[in-house]
Amino acid sequence: MRAWLSLGLFFGGVVMLTSACATSEEWSDWRGHKTHFASGTHGFFSLRNNRDGSNPRVSRTDVDAARQENWWGKAITVSPEQIFQN
Amino acid sequence: MLRHRPRLLGGLLLTAALVVSGGVSHAAPEDALMPLEKYTTLKGKSLASAHRTRLLQFSEEIYNCMPWLAVYPAGLGFRPPRDSQDDDRYLSTWIYVDQREDAVFAALPQERRVSAMFSRYGVDMLRRMSALADVVDDSDVAGLSVVLSWLKPGTSRPGRQAVNETFSLFVDKATLRDFLAKRVSAEEFTNRAKFALFDGQNAVGRVPIEVWEDSFNSTYKATNVIPPKGAVCP
Repeated sequence: MRAWLSLGLFFGGVVMLTSACATSEEWSDWRGHKTHFASGTHGFFSLRNNRDGSNPRVSRTDVDAARQENWWGKAITVSPEQIFQN
Repeated sequence: MLRHRPRLLGGLLLTAALVVSGGVSHAAPEDALMPLEKYTTLKGKSLASAHRTRLLQFSEEIYNCMPWLAVYPAGLGFRPPRDSQDDDRYLSTWIYVDQREDAVFAALPQERRVSAMFSRYGVDMLRRMSALADVVDDSDVAGLSVVLSWLKPGTSRPGRQAVNETFSLFVDKATLRDFLAKRVSAEEFTNRAKFALFDGQNAVGRVPIEVWEDSFNSTYKATNVIPPKGAVCP
């Protein structure tokens, strides 16, 4: 019984350590990668990628229009009154 | 006649829709400025009125040169913190960081996400705001404030309402000046600044943050976005 418990604790520790390392690696990757957002995570980048892989240039108005459709005013966000007075 | 010409009718409706949507405001630079009538004190109104042109230029700079960011409507102005007893006016900018779901970012603990966002965008925005010398040197400006919102990872699933995380920070002018000039450490800067995190509409409060150098916002160029005509980006 004791042996099983020790084994369980051992493997639990290994799992915890492994996950901690992964997070740490991911963190340093994000922190170190100065152009991380250029890889496509910015919302406006999705505008310019065609299915054929070409990258047409888009106007600033296109960015605005896509933003309006996607998120502007739709996500749950703190109200200004919770941060400021007028 | 139109009843027998469904394509023509469709075309007319589409044209009408485009005309109507063309009139909708897309958070243009002017919309970013807090309207004068919203200010509740003479001090606030005077500041907004005196520095309107400069704030509009600043808003245009963000709009034209940093399309990955957006200033919230009425997000740029002179406002006191919510809990302020006096009418201390902070030059404030509320920015939305346009970022989609990202596995690496999602794996970070919340306070790390805050640290990353503030280091990457908050510090640079404060630096840009502090460069508005004529505004910041106004004796009625108590300090500077930056508010950052971004999509909370894992909340933009179909059928669910997405949630934004928001970080707000207020700092006095002298501390910011010394921090940007490296006379005050990042640790001392965060000790002196007032800041809070919000998870959607829920106040999380003060979280432990780290601040480091990140040049992304000051060096990145969005080459595939055509800037509006006449826009000059440094």
